[in-house]
Amino acid sequence: MRALCWEGVGKLAVRDVPEPGIRAEGDIIVKVRASSVCGSDLHLINGYLPAMREGDILGHEFTGEVVETGPGVQRLRVGDRVVVGSVVACGGCWYCRTEQYSLCDNSNPQPVLTEKLWGHSPAGILGYSHAAGGYSGSHAEYIRVPFGDVGAFKVPDGVADDAVVFASDAMPTGWMAADFCALKGGEVVAVWGAGGVGQMAARSAQILGAERVIVIDRLPERLATAADRLGVETINYAETDVLEALREMTAGRGPDACIEAVGMESHDVGPIYAYDKAKQSARLTTDRPTSVRQAIMACRKGGTVSIVGVHGGLVDKFPLGAAMNKALVLRMGQMHAQRYIPMLLDRLAVGEIDPGYLATHPMSLEDGVRGYELFEKKQDACLRSVLHPAA
Amino acid sequence: MTSNATRWALLGATTVTALGAGRAVARRRRRHQPDRQGGWYVVRRGVTVDRPMDAVIGFWTDRERLDRALAEWATLEQLDDNRWRCVASDPAGGGTEWRAEITVDGPGRLSWRVDEGPVPQRGHVDLVSAPQDRGTEIRAELRYRAGGLLRRVLGPVGGDEPDLGLRDALRRIKSLVETGQMIDTRHDPSGRDATQEKATDRVRERLTTGGRA
Repeated sequence: MRALCWEGVGKLAVRDVPEPGIRAEGDIIVKVRASSVCGSDLHLINGYLPAMREGDILGHEFTGEVVETGPGVQRLRVGDRVVVGSVVACGGCWYCRTEQYSLCDNSNPQPVLTEKLWGHSPAGILGYSHAAGGYSGSHAEYIRVPFGDVGAFKVPDGVADDAVVFASDAMPTGWMAADFCALKGGEVVAVWGAGGVGQMAARSAQILGAERVIVIDRLPERLATAADRLGVETINYAETDVLEALREMTAGRGPDACIEAVGMESHDVGPIYAYDKAKQSARLTTDRPTSVRQAIMACRKGGTVSIVGVHGGLVDKFPLGAAMNKALVLRMGQMHAQRYIPMLLDRLAVGEIDPGYLATHPMSLEDGVRGYELFEKKQDACLRSVLHPAA
Repeated sequence: MTSNATRWALLGATTVTALGAGRAVARRRRRHQPDRQGGWYVVRRGVTVDRPMDAVIGFWTDRERLDRALAEWATLEQLDDNRWRCVASDPAGGGTEWRAEITVDGPGRLSWRVDEGPVPQRGHVDLVSAPQDRGTEIRAELRYRAGGLLRRVLGPVGGDEPDLGLRDALRRIKSLVETGQMIDTRHDPSGRDATQEKATDRVRERLTTGGRA
């Protein structure tokens, strides 16, 4: 079959690879119909998250059709159209029992590196390096999904592939970001990042009761899309002082909750950003946390900072004093896909959330390398390239 | 930079730094080494399984499930009511065998001993109820003799030490009891050729073996 493989830092290629097979009782094989690029892939491609190997198949946000099931699979049948959560969860450990699926104890068979880096190993993630279990990804014609009964969900009729594909990762990540904010109704929520996750977080915050949502980015076309599709207010940080603007927009209070949906390769303007970028390029630091710093500084006293952008290692100039003295609540984590996907599919089916507009660049798998280039360089107003292996 | 005093100062500073770094490394190594008692290395490892104690014991006494779970890497033979013989082969191949005699000492307690093979060992496992409805703690203690003078001086190094095997086994048991299977991504497809795959297998091995239990 054909698959998009990582070939070294910054290098991708579409290659012939063997097809996957059932390896364990709970496995299913999914014929991929749509597979989206994700901002967190860029950290892998650019070598900021460790343990990628030449030939690894990328991709973790996808939808498709079940073509084979292991003997232990009960909930799914061949022919079912499914969307699959990016994080792998066993369904049998304490974390899964308490719906903290991205912390699953048993789904990363290669936990040593993350245990050393972080003290414990969280769940494995499909197509996300050998530190996250070494699973093959979804930018391929077929993918093996372990614990299929736990991780794959039937797609409601009438929902398009290019919309439901985001129920795999961007929607549950955005929803969890807003869920962390514990909104009671009437709050002002600021969201850093107008990519797929940021826009889904903004929509989720609206549904959960936020009165005003302010989205921050530097790309005018993304901000325009967010304003147009979701009716949010926007700040372009390349033109405006964000802290000043947020203070002014909230009459001095600051946002009640600040969501960071950017991650470790955050952009900014000014000399501190140049310094952070130089350090990261020389691998002297792992993460550029400019948007996290800003979120903490902007947040109102006693407010919540919710981090769902992916971070990998160590940061510097972390404003711990601001967080401590303002008595902020910090919430963060990889999303618990399996907890949120069924509810999100219901909302998708009735049109309450419509992520289809994120798929600005549908294309065949063969064009995947160009798809990532468009996405990384934000060319042609690309929000997401979505690959179609069957096309 | 040419005066003798400067040279001596630099040399002195370098020596002090090197000694400091060496001591720090040595201390760190020592901290990672197992205790020694009467010629045996002693390691204790534990893992929490999210099942009540009966279910954990039940897993070991359900012969069919156990055989299925062990199929790939070990066989069990019952000697009498309380004694079993376990023969495990090295998962990496090479024909190495690990023969252990396992004795059930009471409810929630079993012990094993390995007399044949390069590393003699004794071990026992206790099952304890975990607090807060968190299931059962499997607490294992392993004693083994290190072979060779050099090895005894340097402390156990390399991937063959029984401690790594113990951590691996506990993780395996937890997964089997909680999910009925062990995840394995070794055969997932990739764009690697045979040489690259071999190098990746070595990385996998390092990422799989050891770490915390």
